[in-house]
Amino acid sequence: MKVHVDPERCQGHTLCNMIAPKMFELNEIDGHSSPVSEEVPADQEDKVAEAVRSCPEQAISLS
Amino acid sequence: MSVEEIPLDADRKKHSYEFARHAPEYRHQFEAITQEMQARCPVAWSDTYGGHWVAAGASEVFDLARSAEYLSNDHDIEGVRRGYKGISIPSQDHDMQIQGGFLEMDPPGQREYRQVLNPYLSPAAVARWTPVVDELVRACLDEKIETGRIDFVDHLANVVPAVLTLAMLGIPLKSWIVYCEPTHAAVYTPPDSPDMERVREIQVEMGEDLFVQMAQIREHPRPGMVDALVRAKIGGKTPPDMELFGVLLLLIGGGFDTTTSLTAHALEWLSEHPGQRERLSRERDTLLDPATEEFLRFYTPAPGDGRTITQDCEIAGTRFKEGERIWLSWAMANRDPSLFENPNEIDLARTGNRHYSFGLGLHRCIGSNVARMVFKRMLTAVLDRMPDFECDPAGAVHYETIGVIQGMQHLPATFTPGPRLGAGLDETIEMLQRLCDEQRLAEPVTVRKAKAEIAGQRPAAGV
Repeated sequence: MKVHVDPERCQGHTLCNMIAPKMFELNEIDGHSSPVSEEVPADQEDKVAEAVRSCPEQAISLS
Repeated sequence: MSVEEIPLDADRKKHSYEFARHAPEYRHQFEAITQEMQARCPVAWSDTYGGHWVAAGASEVFDLARSAEYLSNDHDIEGVRRGYKGISIPSQDHDMQIQGGFLEMDPPGQREYRQVLNPYLSPAAVARWTPVVDELVRACLDEKIETGRIDFVDHLANVVPAVLTLAMLGIPLKSWIVYCEPTHAAVYTPPDSPDMERVREIQVEMGEDLFVQMAQIREHPRPGMVDALVRAKIGGKTPPDMELFGVLLLLIGGGFDTTTSLTAHALEWLSEHPGQRERLSRERDTLLDPATEEFLRFYTPAPGDGRTITQDCEIAGTRFKEGERIWLSWAMANRDPSLFENPNEIDLARTGNRHYSFGLGLHRCIGSNVARMVFKRMLTAVLDRMPDFECDPAGAVHYETIGVIQGMQHLPATFTPGPRLGAGLDETIEMLQRLCDEQRLAEPVTVRKAKAEIAGQRPAAGV
């Protein structure tokens, strides 16, 4: 499973980092999110799926 | 366009609803009105407030809020652009109109202001202030802990956000009283109230102090958001003082009343649900984050924003015309059953909670990280030090209307008294002022990375 954050859609709500801190890091200056790694380890899949469901901007996708 | 191609207004506006969100009835019948609008007209035309559209459905609000190319936040005070009226519906008819900072601007200016302020308000920037907030919360609770009585609004939730906001701005902390009362009173005092004259007077006093601070900081640099603003170049130029004044009022208004409202409502609910309160305290490691988002969703302190349509368009199944006004209701979208199961119930462990309480799109609340942090530190401190608190429903005062802010004016409570842990509020504010000055806490995160250090502070539990 691969995760992608659309930088055009992300507005820095930070919920993904709250839910899956190991998978999403926040920019120090504006708090916008990016995946720590594209590949999602098996033990993070549930949390990443929950981050996808919780993003107010619907900026996170899985492939 | 020929006449035939222009849709008849009656057809465009066939879904209509008499929407009066400034009336007390709207607060009392909020759930019923929300349900009716979402079922019958998730986007409705309302003749109220000069005529405007209202978006109440979650997917409609989502589509609209993210259609930046068709929606404007601009408040054109001087009538030099297209005369748009900003985010208030109806527009405020004060003698002196002030643009509401970058919330009443469009890009690129809006984006430039946010770029100036982001390094003060990002998650990393805000985390540095946690020890200061803990110390303020401790002092507020210490003032009341031996008596067994507190007003959670007057003695805690009004104080902490106000003092912290001033600290981040770079304004002397002890001035918080000059800023606190006018900022809250401006929201909850109806325009026709006999108290309005007093409110106007203290607003003027606050405004004068703000101009003095801007002048002083321009002359003698001092870290903080005021410093960043007076030195900012927007569109390559130094903005006029009135524009900066509007930005500062936005930061103060956004920083004070909303977090206060969220905290008061959450404490009131937890008092009514002692089992849930105990569970939240016990399971805070996993529950505090989702519970915070759930309180944000359910109570939506800032219930919506107005916009102006910038060109004829069709969004979410409705045809709009240039110049029309539209209200995006975050509060109603947050109760849409198509997005939230059992939307009118509070579920502290709710998942998939993509609520709209900080807005959506490029105007996402710039203070959201501050709001969450301050709320969590106040809440957990109360759970630790006043675990059996009981709010007094007879003394609780909710804002009469929720057209601007869904807030509370008073929330008295009783609890089993406990011991003080340290100095009182005034002494603590003096100590924190020295700390701000010595450690230059209000620098942006690009300059200062480290957390505030407070000698002798015990590490806080949880969070």
